[in-house]
Amino acid sequence: MNETWRFDTLVHLGLWLLIAAVSIVLHLLPLGAIEGDWPAPDILLALTLAWVVRRPVHLPAPAIVLVFLAEDLFLMRPPGLMALAVLLGSEFLRRRQSVLRELNLALEWAMAAAVIGAIWLGTRLLRAIVMVPNDPLDLSLLGLAVTILSYPLVVWVLQGVLRVRKPAMGEVDELGRKL
Amino acid sequence: MATDRSNEADYIRPVRRLLIGVLALILLALFLLWRIDSPRIERFRTAVVDSVVPNLDWAMAPVTRVARMVEDFRSYARIYEQNQELRRELQQMRAWREAALQLEQRNAQLLDMARVRLDPQLTHVTGVVMADAGSPFRQSVLLNVGARDGIVDGWAVMDGLGLAGRIAGVGDRSSRVILLTDSNSRVPVLVQPNAQTALLSGDNGPAPVLEFVENPEALRPGDRVVSASDGGVFPPGLLVGEVALGADGRLRVRLAADYGRLDFLRVLRSRPAEVIEQSGSLLRPVDAAGVPLDPATGAPVQALVPAEVSDPVLTPVEAVPAVPLPGAERPEGAPNE
Repeated sequence: MNETWRFDTLVHLGLWLLIAAVSIVLHLLPLGAIEGDWPAPDILLALTLAWVVRRPVHLPAPAIVLVFLAEDLFLMRPPGLMALAVLLGSEFLRRRQSVLRELNLALEWAMAAAVIGAIWLGTRLLRAIVMVPNDPLDLSLLGLAVTILSYPLVVWVLQGVLRVRKPAMGEVDELGRKL
Repeated sequence: MATDRSNEADYIRPVRRLLIGVLALILLALFLLWRIDSPRIERFRTAVVDSVVPNLDWAMAPVTRVARMVEDFRSYARIYEQNQELRRELQQMRAWREAALQLEQRNAQLLDMARVRLDPQLTHVTGVVMADAGSPFRQSVLLNVGARDGIVDGWAVMDGLGLAGRIAGVGDRSSRVILLTDSNSRVPVLVQPNAQTALLSGDNGPAPVLEFVENPEALRPGDRVVSASDGGVFPPGLLVGEVALGADGRLRVRLAADYGRLDFLRVLRSRPAEVIEQSGSLLRPVDAAGVPLDPATGAPVQALVPAEVSDPVLTPVEAVPAVPLPGAERPEGAPNE
């Protein structure tokens, strides 16, 4: 087994899985159909991206795929589409980890907003190409805006409550290797 | 995973990149497969939901209860206004009750006179709402009755008062109800006072739009809308709601079903009505070859019958009794209410 799969990583992965499960179940709760209301922000998406920016080791790609595939299945979305988009988006951020580490929150927010926007546009385009009816444009744009606006809040919770931060200079992991 | 780690083995990055590519391809293939062969993947989805959601009852029940309690607690704040409102409503209800009693008696008399036989097969199964799709884009709920209870795709679903939607997707222990407000819902309806047919199409808003109305000028807000049996989708005559004029000037329907509190839903068992296609065989004896016989002599009567009856399947005609009933002007068709 890969030696980076240490206790701390597993605990954080479990925490993320728990949050994801709670988020999906909250969506399923029969609290009455929300109609004509503002669409809720996609907290899970924002949280996942913010987490990948901070500690990519915690969230392996297969876990991301499984969680978003489950969300696709339960929330009656086309299966696999959102999972694919989030996988590509998170991989994009993961590759640029060394760059993102230097950025302040505003620039990181802009980058995350670009990724979220690309996910939104990509899924809509792909749906249009294979002629699956898309969500109404105004509602869906509003949902995109709300999700992007919620990103700093998610980052605040992630850093303040869950204590997941960007690695500081000279920080080492459990094996004593430089992060 | 840690691209800048100097002590990471050289082979990990290409392998990882390959694995990500394979994952992405699998997901894309799943999406395309869903697009091509939607029913199979949807059955898989139904099976997954069916196996997971009923097991979450222990989690859902308390949270739902707490949310309801908070909602109820909020309503204490305006208890005085509510009291006044309830009194006013009670007064109105008394008047309605009186009217209803009178109408009920009158209806019973009329039914007795007309000897109307209500459809004996229109029974229902009642289910509890377990979960909803929870997004403003999908208006559907999950019921705890399924194929085990004999639910079939396409059956109509009502709450206590009005039509709520129809079954779309049946699992063994659960079934999905697509509500009238969903943007994929299209239901044929009848606007009552002048019997205009229209199509009720959801647009994710609280009040679905009336489309394809023959004569929109003849409708006015407040007209009753009931379901129509066009296309054999729904049993006719179920209350849907009343016509309202939307802010955008389109005709909409204010639904009678209370979408704010969908707790129990009733699924109507419906069967397609029999279709009468032949004219002769219904009323006259027929021999093995399908040739009508004269009821008096028992002999074939081809010479007397016009050509259309010799090929009864291709030219369906209305069933007309051989002997007109004395005094009956409209012998066929059920009496209208």
